[in-house]
Amino acid sequence: MEKEEQITRNNFISMVIWAVGGLISLGMGIPAIAYIIGPALSRNQVQEWIRLGPISKIELNIPTLFKFVIQRKTGWIVNEEEISVYVLTDNGRDFIAMSNICSHLGCRVRWISDQEIFFCPCHNGVFDKEGAVEAGPPPGPLDRYELKVEDDQLFILGG
Amino acid sequence: MATKIGNWLDERLAWRQVWTAIFLRKIPKVNWLFTLGSASLFLAVNQIVTGILLTIYYVPTPDHAYDSVQYITTQVPMGWLIRGLHHWGASAMVVMVVLHMLRIIFYGAYKFPREVTWFTGVILLIVTIGFGFTGYLLPWDQKAYWATTVGTRIAGTPPVIGEWILLIIRGGEELSAVTLARFYGVHIWVLPTVLLLITLIHLYLVIRIGISAVPGREE
Repeated sequence: MEKEEQITRNNFISMVIWAVGGLISLGMGIPAIAYIIGPALSRNQVQEWIRLGPISKIELNIPTLFKFVIQRKTGWIVNEEEISVYVLTDNGRDFIAMSNICSHLGCRVRWISDQEIFFCPCHNGVFDKEGAVEAGPPPGPLDRYELKVEDDQLFILGG
Repeated sequence: MATKIGNWLDERLAWRQVWTAIFLRKIPKVNWLFTLGSASLFLAVNQIVTGILLTIYYVPTPDHAYDSVQYITTQVPMGWLIRGLHHWGASAMVVMVVLHMLRIIFYGAYKFPREVTWFTGVILLIVTIGFGFTGYLLPWDQKAYWATTVGTRIAGTPPVIGEWILLIIRGGEELSAVTLARFYGVHIWVLPTVLLLITLIHLYLVIRIGISAVPGREE
């Protein structure tokens, strides 16, 4: 910085103008940022137990597809969304419930029964029947849902 | 450092000359009434900033307009503030622009050589009122709907061409999705473009010609 200057009337006014302008910009800018990012950061509604159906429907060693509809609120719109879950058991007592959403980029996988694989058509991702990656670009196994059995009915935790 | 960058840019852009011409120009001794134009400009900037922010969530269809406005007001963080600033800023701007015009009239500042500044100012007044008229419909609530029903009907009162004007403004016989969409398009594209262009000319003339002094008895 240069030598100390005396604050003239002109300098003072100029400083005040910059300060007030800065305050107004902050007063506008900070709410604007909150306004833009706010809804993006708000998490979805709470998870709850969703009934899939009777366990008698599930065949041994074959991933069985369950579909259900949930209500999802996005912005000011309430949508009905269909969720698909593959359930697998090898003994009729222990189950795993897998999401059909590919871990690569979010396309939907489907069970190809004669090859015994889950296949994702978007980028040829292949998973085995327990959801582990066999080939292709997916970085990890299929997501699993927490699940419970009550009165021979299967429930998963979702929402 | 800042001075160095400033100098480097000044050698190429001569920005200090521009800065001086705009902000450090010589003006006659005037009073606070001469700030009304700047106040209008400030409000216009406020409307532009808050208006752009509102378009991030607002949806101009009968299905979604009301709900998206409610969403902005009650759900989005600071949405009430952004909408409030736009809402009250709109009224304030009409008031400020009219006061600015009154000062020009009473001080005779519209006279030679400032006639063109005055003409552009009149256009800006009409544009501001156009903003108010089109923006009023966008919340798509009862007040908006009936105010626009009445407003467009008034526009339809001139003989011979009235019916035609009414149809053009509404985009059909009735107030509908078509009306809402065209009001929105006019509000966020047509009028802002005109406002910006005419404001630039208006400001250029204010700077080029200089502002008038307070009229006095002498001379």
